[in-house]
Amino acid sequence: MNLLDQYEQVVGHWEIERLRRLGERLAGKRIVHVNSTKSGGGVAEILGWMIPLMRELGMDVSWEVIQGPPEFYRVTKALHNGLQGFPVALRQRDYALHCEVNRENAQRLDVQADVVFVHDPQPLFLPHFTPKDRVGKWVWRCHIDASRPNRAIWKHLEKGIADYGAAIFSMAAFTRPLRCPMYLIPPSIDPLSDKNCALSETERLATLSQTGIDADRPLLLQVSRFDRFKDPLGVIEAYRLLKPYYPELQLALAGGPADDDPEGAEVLDEVRTRAADDKDTKVLLLPPDAHRAINALQRSAIIVLQKSLKEGFGLTVTEALWKGKPVVGGASGGIALQVHDYHTGFLVYSPPGAAYRIRYLLRYAEKRQRMGKTGHIFVREHFLLTRHLRDYMTMLLDLEQPDGKVLAV
Amino acid sequence: MDSPEPFKVMDCSLVRCPTGRSCANLRELRDAIQTVPEAVIEHHMMRCALEDHFALYEFPNDLALWCWNALGDHLLAEHLGVVDPYQHPDIATLREHLLDYIDDRLWSLDRVPWCRGGLELHLVQSRLVSYDTGERISTPAALVDAVDRMSSRSLFYHVHEARRRSGGTTDDFSLWFEDLGVDPEAVRRLRAIDFYFLNLQQLREELLAVFQECLMDPLDRKGTRR
Repeated sequence: MNLLDQYEQVVGHWEIERLRRLGERLAGKRIVHVNSTKSGGGVAEILGWMIPLMRELGMDVSWEVIQGPPEFYRVTKALHNGLQGFPVALRQRDYALHCEVNRENAQRLDVQADVVFVHDPQPLFLPHFTPKDRVGKWVWRCHIDASRPNRAIWKHLEKGIADYGAAIFSMAAFTRPLRCPMYLIPPSIDPLSDKNCALSETERLATLSQTGIDADRPLLLQVSRFDRFKDPLGVIEAYRLLKPYYPELQLALAGGPADDDPEGAEVLDEVRTRAADDKDTKVLLLPPDAHRAINALQRSAIIVLQKSLKEGFGLTVTEALWKGKPVVGGASGGIALQVHDYHTGFLVYSPPGAAYRIRYLLRYAEKRQRMGKTGHIFVREHFLLTRHLRDYMTMLLDLEQPDGKVLAV
Repeated sequence: MDSPEPFKVMDCSLVRCPTGRSCANLRELRDAIQTVPEAVIEHHMMRCALEDHFALYEFPNDLALWCWNALGDHLLAEHLGVVDPYQHPDIATLREHLLDYIDDRLWSLDRVPWCRGGLELHLVQSRLVSYDTGERISTPAALVDAVDRMSSRSLFYHVHEARRRSGGTTDDFSLWFEDLGVDPEAVRRLRAIDFYFLNLQQLREELLAVFQECLMDPLDRKGTRR
């Protein structure tokens, strides 16, 4: 069975048929994706599924990875943080290194193509150093929130962005005015991945047993890094407000450490201290590849929380909705695009607000189940990788005729 | 009933292009509506239907929803909620109409309503990429099955976009029925569906209800594929 056939089992025959029709219009088109790593991180994960699917749909797609010395990655990490508005200080020679490594890679990489997608800021200057006749159109795919960048960093990156024919962002709120046309393509989840696939009851129960969670009592769950912006202490506060009314309730806070956040360990300590006197609160520090364990926890929860104070798109919300769980989420970033009051969960603004909405959901089982069902359908319609792929393909068609109001293909 | 011209099922996809511009208060919204390209107004008043899947949303367009949820200006939201863009001959007229409502509201207020950070309205324009699915329907009864399973994007194309193409007079389904000589009552009832105030799932249900009630013949339920 080929890949598309596997997804057909999830999204239905007609959805895949539509992709094939679009693929016919793009057959043979030469496309190159360039990023900075072949494994690890969200971008590599997306390209890992997207490239085989694009090939199966008839496009000639390849994936190139830039290389550079360790110092280059220190600089690009700072550029990445600076693009998101964090205070970073780079010297002139750091900017020069960024450009120089891009120049070297431009000579090494095979980017002869109709369209080249450059992911994030690391390979941003490739167009600047590539002969003009090699690439039909350069497209910058920015996966992060670039709406309020650090000014010095932006001044540097803006010079590179000037060479692009288009840019793609995940949300309108992540953009800032650019000279080139911009496109919106929200991220997605892979329903067949370890994190989202169906699990056996045996595996689910084994995970609960390993993590010390009682499978017979209701579980509240938040999956996120231990980061202040995810407000884990606010989640504990909400849980404590609920506990007198629902003594059987359990809470699990599951996630990895925030390696790039110096406060991460400090936050984790605070969370553990705050949770120490309650045996029903589990703080689970999981390795980055614990996808099936996360999957099992999400499937075991009665309600999933994502009480972020600041959030990117919030794919953990998408994952929970896909598993039929209502979500109580902070009104920030992409959470507000996914959590709709009384339909897929509730947006909240404080720990008492979260406690109040959870109480409502615990009280009304039928409404909880209906919201879970709506959430699953919502994700199937909007946030599965098939939609993501369709968006890329229609954008490629639009790039050929960017001036039409309605483009018939 | 056989048709010499089978119904051609189309699908579409929205290419959404952010403008990089956002509004945090009513005056900014007013200025934006006055100056943005027509495709922005078209997106937030019409094509936003492709993103709404919830039966209970009070408002059929982004502007009314934002005024209600983010600005807390319920009076203006109610006014914008009843503006039907498909009743306007073009976007320029619609723009004037929207500006008139907002100016009226600003005139009557002591303070300009604003939203808290994070709830800004980010302005987007969109283009519709339409494509032939290859599916052909040869009988009205087969269309019932097709509508039942076709994507919500196809429904949008054959109803909302069809209204734009036809100058507000018809959707593609009733036009095809008319060509086939199907009962005029079915054609009339299809065209009377208040599609702008329905989400796409509700629209599907209404279409199916009309089909069920008006198509009396025990017809075969097979479409044909090219």
